[in-house]
Amino acid sequence: MNKNLRNLFNNGWIEIAFRWIIGATFIYASYYKIMSPMDFAKILYGYNLFPEFLINLIAIILPFVELISGLSLILGVYPRSAALILNGLLLAFILILTINIMRGHEFDCGCFSANKTGSPIMMVARDVIYLLMGLQVLLFNGIRKGCFIHPD
Amino acid sequence: MQLNKVIKEMFFLLGISIISAFAVNFISPAGIALVGKWDESLGGKASKTKGYVFSGELEIKDVKTAKQIYDSDKAVFVDARSLEDFERGHIKGAESLPLGQFDELIGAFRKKYPADTFIVTYCSGRTCDDSHRLEQLLFDHGYVNVSIFIDGYQGWKAEGFPIE
Repeated sequence: MNKNLRNLFNNGWIEIAFRWIIGATFIYASYYKIMSPMDFAKILYGYNLFPEFLINLIAIILPFVELISGLSLILGVYPRSAALILNGLLLAFILILTINIMRGHEFDCGCFSANKTGSPIMMVARDVIYLLMGLQVLLFNGIRKGCFIHPD
Repeated sequence: MQLNKVIKEMFFLLGISIISAFAVNFISPAGIALVGKWDESLGGKASKTKGYVFSGELEIKDVKTAKQIYDSDKAVFVDARSLEDFERGHIKGAESLPLGQFDELIGAFRKKYPADTFIVTYCSGRTCDDSHRLEQLLFDHGYVNVSIFIDGYQGWKAEGFPIE
């Protein structure tokens, strides 16, 4: 890797900025899902991808995975593990959105609220950007700033 | 990266998430049942609130039956969708009673229609459950003769039946 790029990649300020951006986004995204799991479950059903018996369980659990991992990133408690979880979620979101775009299935994202949130392609682009930020946080090698528990 | 450590931490974070998720779902009034009701043939897909009791006997399961009831002029069709959806198109002669504004509008509705009125609720179709929720609310307000037309506005429109 180019040295400047490597310095940029291992810049602690960038790492904390990305951590806060991803953390805040996921906490925000979890809010409406926690407040109204019934609507979120219906949106999940609308994706037409999940087995019926799993829909409610996903609607109950997923928002809390987002919330706890988001908090963990912001507070700097196990940030690498939280980044790994959220990157996994982002990858899953990208995959799910892409599948539904490719088969031309009309659906509601349900990412942030019950209202429609832009075109599906924009949603994928947005998730890819978050994923790139998440990879920086995951692979960061330097000393992490603003961590409650200093892990590595 | 110490993989073992990261995996342990991940399980820790996921464990906390799962425990808090079930705890909040259990306590919260907005909590849902662990398994929903998504069977298309039953209509009114919903995640089900906890303790939701529903009898499928109240459902009108095909459009032709709904049309017969409509033609008999014995029932009032009540649209559970939002006012905007209602204004964009609804079953001809239907009353609008959006679920979201139920508390504001039920007073006026009660003055107009006595408790023994035969009511048929509907929403957009089989993938919505607003008509089911409206039926429950109307029942709670003393309406004893309420049915649910599960194919809703889309099913009605697709058959070319009267809309406005």
